[in-house]
Amino acid sequence: MAPRVAIIGLASDFGCQVQVTNMEDHLLDVLGLMDLSYWQLASSGHLPDEYDVAVIEGAVTTADHAEALLKARETAAVVIAIGSCAITGGIPALAGTADYDARYGVVYGDGVAVARGRQLPAPVSSVIEVDYHVPGCPIDPAEFVTVLSRAIMGLKDDMPRDPMCAICKTQENVCFLDRGRACLGLVTRTGCTAKCVTLGRPCTGCRGISPEANIPAARLVYAEKGLDPLELDRLFDLYNAAREVVV
Amino acid sequence: MSTLTVEHVARIEGHGTITVEMESGVVSDVRMDVIEAARFFESMVVGRRFDEVSLITSRICGICSPNHALTSLKAVEAAFGIEVSERTELLRKLFVYGSYLQNHATHLYVFAAPDFVGLPSVFPLAQTHPDIVERALRIKKTGNDLTTLIGGRPVHPITAVVGGFSAEPSASDLRAMAVRLEALVADTVATAELFQSFEVPSFETSGEMLALVDDDDYAIYDGETAALDAGWRRPAAEYRQFIAETVVGHSNAKHSTVAGRTFMVGSLPRINLSSDRLMPRAAKTLATLGIAAPSRNTFLNNVCQAVELVDAAERCAMYIDRLLGVGGSTAPQPFTIKAGSGAAASEAPRGTLYHAYSIDDDGIVVAGDVITPTAQNLGNLEADMRAYAPTIAHLPKDEFILSMEKLVRAYDPCLSCSVH
Ligand code: SF4
Ligand code: SF4
Repeated sequence: MAPRVAIIGLASDFGCQVQVTNMEDHLLDVLGLMDLSYWQLASSGHLPDEYDVAVIEGAVTTADHAEALLKARETAAVVIAIGSCAITGGIPALAGTADYDARYGVVYGDGVAVARGRQLPAPVSSVIEVDYHVPGCPIDPAEFVTVLSRAIMGLKDDMPRDPMCAICKTQENVCFLDRGRACLGLVTRTGCTAKCVTLGRPCTGCRGISPEANIPAARLVYAEKGLDPLELDRLFDLYNAAREVVV
Repeated sequence: MSTLTVEHVARIEGHGTITVEMESGVVSDVRMDVIEAARFFESMVVGRRFDEVSLITSRICGICSPNHALTSLKAVEAAFGIEVSERTELLRKLFVYGSYLQNHATHLYVFAAPDFVGLPSVFPLAQTHPDIVERALRIKKTGNDLTTLIGGRPVHPITAVVGGFSAEPSASDLRAMAVRLEALVADTVATAELFQSFEVPSFETSGEMLALVDDDDYAIYDGETAALDAGWRRPAAEYRQFIAETVVGHSNAKHSTVAGRTFMVGSLPRINLSSDRLMPRAAKTLATLGIAAPSRNTFLNNVCQAVELVDAAERCAMYIDRLLGVGGSTAPQPFTIKAGSGAAASEAPRGTLYHAYSIDDDGIVVAGDVITPTAQNLGNLEADMRAYAPTIAHLPKDEFILSMEKLVRAYDPCLSCSVH
């Protein structure tokens, strides 16, 4: 029997779910692998009481989110987190870097919006155990299919672990650090073929911190290249403000 | 009193609940409760460097990310007094149109169409009507490929930077894309015909309609804000002077008014205000289908999106031709970082998008402001729901709910954008 899959969105921009629909050539084949039990974005219907795989997008920013996650973990045999929001807190966690409550006032003034059960933005793993990860902001649809297939077959999660620099060199890119510009390739988890650098922009770390990264050493490299070592940390806040390192 | 709720309305981007209250069979209140979580983007950009703003605000929405990136770049450029090249403008228009093709195809076929054929989703159609599903995927894929060709990926473009682009597609890839876009026109016309064949209620919104307008172009990249009923045109950068936002207790998204009235933005207002700027086959499609602009029927927003698909396919092929002839560069020219404020607007697939930033002498953002299309539409959507619900209150519950959902989906709401 095809595994029953539920796709659940927390605080996010839906970009990763959109990426799932963006594999136009293979979408119908991939949907054939599973029995799609719930996907608010694409289908009417309610979250059922039983399903096998929970695919979670988005960061945890409300008590309702945390509750939904606990329920999902109880129900599903397998939990897959997709995208930086879900894995590291991503961009939503950037709001957690300064007085979080004051941010409400910046946006809503003294008006009363719903905003019920608001809590500091956090990754899914802060609430429940996560079995598989698809990193990136946004995810790469092909990587999602690979991870989903591995999950369905019961193979282990094999997120790449190394930092990105090695693969970047094979793309024949000119290193940004050599040009005196900060880049996070030194410490970011590989797997995107250094997409941004290849297109002329420094890596900003959307795939999260590599578990093999040596951050103090990376700061020294920054200093050697004439950059402020703490620029590394400042840049890392963009997608990794919660500083979650998934091993 | 009885309350009817549709929680987590399906096939829209974001989380919202429709609430209808009835007193002895008479509709007494209707609300769109937007429970989508606030991410506080306007506070998040504060303290970040000017060149990170587009990376951050792009994440407001995974569907119209090119528009958020573009609009924030233009606002930062306005603050610094940077002018971009014609080549940069053309490439920016193209990657925004890529998101139009993708957004409108997704909304029409994946979100809206199931309502008209009585299915929970578009997926079962793959068996019964493979030609329709394949057409939908072709349009969507062409849009994504266009955005990817210019931005590096379909969601969250990489190459768009302050002052221009960090990389450019090759002329041969652009030429190949122009050929695909020309070929896509037939698919887009078929889409417009399909949606015009679906019966919609003759309902009229009482709200104002706003869209950007431009004397020389179908305004997407830039323009002045125009009001259909009031008949004015104003610089879009002054949006704070004509759009008022209020916090409402049942929604994490604010509501907007113009001169005290709710208003609509999106494809219908755009076509109402700029039908004379449409490309030839789009104009012909509009005429053949018998859609008389201006129209006040909110439900026609769907078919207007389809007409914009025709326009986008034709127009992008034309823009690519022009681009291959203009020369020039998209590499950002040197500029001075200085304290200042800038505001900008563009037309996102779902309507006008406004961004404004204040930046200090070191290039650090001190304040940010964003009004998204759906945030502008929500007040009008609720007004429409309140006006429409009593006219269908006699229907059996399931049909009543479906009709209300159809109205909501006609706006193609993006609740994650609306809250941001
Ligand atoms: S990881 Fe990025 S693309 Fe994915 S949902 Fe979060 S913000 Fe959107
Ligand atoms: S280069 Fe860095 S920021 Fe860009 S996609 Fe790869 S990991 Fe993400």
